[in-house]
Amino acid sequence: MTTKRVTCDIPLNRVEGDLEIKVALEGGRVVDAWSSGTMFRGFERIMEGRGPLDGLVITPRICGICSLTHLYAAARALDQIYGVAPPANAVRLRNLALMVETVQSDVRQSLLMFLVDFANPAHAGRSFYPDAVARYEPLRGARCLEAVRETKQLLEIVAIIGGQWPHTSFMVPGGVVFSPALPDLFKCRNRVVRFKRWYEETVLGCSLERWQQVDGGEALDRWLGEQPAHRAGDVGQLLRMGGEIGLDALGQGPGRFLSVGSLPLPSGSAVSGWGAGPDLVPAGFVDGKTVHPFSQQMVSEHVAWSWYADQPGGLHPFASVTDPVASGAEGHKYSWVKAPRYFGLTVETGPLAEGVVAGHPLLTDLVRANGPSALTRQLARLIRPALMLPVMERWIDELIAEHSGKFYQPAPLLKDGQGVGLIQAARGALGHWVTIEKGRIARYQIITPTGWNGSPRDANGVRGPWEEALLGTPLEDPDNPVMAGHVIRSFDPCLVCAVHVVGSSRRIGLAM
Amino acid sequence: MAVADRAIICVGNRFMAEDDTGLRVFELFSGIPLPDGVELVDGGLGGLNLLSLLEGRTEVIFVDTLDVSMTAIGEVIVLDGREVAALAESYGHAAGLPYLLHMLPLVCPPPWPRCRVVGTAAPATRESLLAIVRTTLELLADASAA
Repeated sequence: MTTKRVTCDIPLNRVEGDLEIKVALEGGRVVDAWSSGTMFRGFERIMEGRGPLDGLVITPRICGICSLTHLYAAARALDQIYGVAPPANAVRLRNLALMVETVQSDVRQSLLMFLVDFANPAHAGRSFYPDAVARYEPLRGARCLEAVRETKQLLEIVAIIGGQWPHTSFMVPGGVVFSPALPDLFKCRNRVVRFKRWYEETVLGCSLERWQQVDGGEALDRWLGEQPAHRAGDVGQLLRMGGEIGLDALGQGPGRFLSVGSLPLPSGSAVSGWGAGPDLVPAGFVDGKTVHPFSQQMVSEHVAWSWYADQPGGLHPFASVTDPVASGAEGHKYSWVKAPRYFGLTVETGPLAEGVVAGHPLLTDLVRANGPSALTRQLARLIRPALMLPVMERWIDELIAEHSGKFYQPAPLLKDGQGVGLIQAARGALGHWVTIEKGRIARYQIITPTGWNGSPRDANGVRGPWEEALLGTPLEDPDNPVMAGHVIRSFDPCLVCAVHVVGSSRRIGLAM
Repeated sequence: MAVADRAIICVGNRFMAEDDTGLRVFELFSGIPLPDGVELVDGGLGGLNLLSLLEGRTEVIFVDTLDVSMTAIGEVIVLDGREVAALAESYGHAAGLPYLLHMLPLVCPPPWPRCRVVGTAAPATRESLLAIVRTTLELLADASAA
């Protein structure tokens, strides 16, 4: 085994076509990494000078995966600017749509994009390999087909309540534009109930109630050994396969976690938040074991290593600009992704961060024991629907009971101001920072989850979260870097959103 | 509301010149009367999420940007849905029509619509956009006559 330091690009195109990873290797392990978003996005510049409401139509088209999330963030920023509070029913509908998008994303990402890598020929000698191929092989694995079928019927909820599909813009300042009829709400409930049953039977292998009792690492081990159905479910498969290849010891990120909070609790709802604060998903920053309150004032963007005009240190998004400079710093700058920081620090965001901030007993125990590993990070994503589905059902019941209530609070005439729309997308913290001047958008800055997790180095030379997480990853075959793929994919990168418009690979005929 | 038997689904990204063919054609179709029983859809970046728009139809024409390896700039071609489905690879955030059409018969109950894709390589010229409109209408007319 060589101890010589070698630097090479590794092909992770199946992770994202617009993502390039360069690593330095010593002794067959990654000792340094550089993550590069290879395309300029520029949506912020497209927004400048447009009407204030245009963000509701344009930003959902940033990404086909997180369309509703961008819509919600844009609407919340405008709610703030216009000083209007959406009625409880509007909050419920907005939340329901976002949760549908999140749950389908969690399941599709886990089964179609993460577990599929266990069917990689690099794992051919592993005990799980034949089963992994049968279940998760691309295009034909039995579980992959089921995941598409079931998430499709769940997504129909958005078509029902959004009034347009795809790319609905049904959220507006002050609420939503549509009051669904009772039969439509019954259809929504039926879809959630059906999906929940499928999730219990095949993803968990047990009831939600039994799963909620798993409150730590030891309880998880007991649960796994309790019944064959637990081991046969996708959660059980993830734990067994991930454990066999050592994913519980790989992919350690910066060890700091950020949630900006999400899914505001409607007034009068019987649903309680998962932590402190006004949202179902609490906001907070965790460094070590302490949960600190979140303040958007502490967010900054660095561009020292990004292809943008230089600025001193990091700037708050209301002060930051998007001024692309593609030349003059070759060999130094290496990404179109900016480097967001919180309190000047790198942070991880996503379902694991949400769990740690909320004090989820299982996830906090696993992080305490093994750190934020790739396995725990992916587990957090696959089990998040277990938390969301009962709340979705409850909010639909409340919508049915309160159906005669308001869904829209008229907003005052358009006025100038600044607003921040913060939301937890499926992949983590999303923020829209909007400035309206003279009735036009003067500034629009967006920080995406992959911006946080996939950032390049900052002004202090500190690596981004998944650059850090790659350190120590074994890389036996640079042409098939399956372990690096597991680590990167545990963050669920979405470069179409973080760096630019949708990747060219979506066009017919290009290899993905 | 009943689903129209036939649909023109224009896909792509109107904010990306290399991928805006479908949406530019959508704008052209928006200004002209369509044959009876034909629905025009802005499919945008829907990708796999367009599955539910295919159910209950007999004929779907997709309009999209095609890779330059398949056609020349200005040249309009028609691909059968099965040819496009054969190009599918693993699922990803950027999965497009190949993955959608591959999954259609695997996850949706029959009968499935006949699917075809009309497009050209980017950047699409005005003439090629108009040619796509003509070709799409001819395909729909042929399907009606059949």
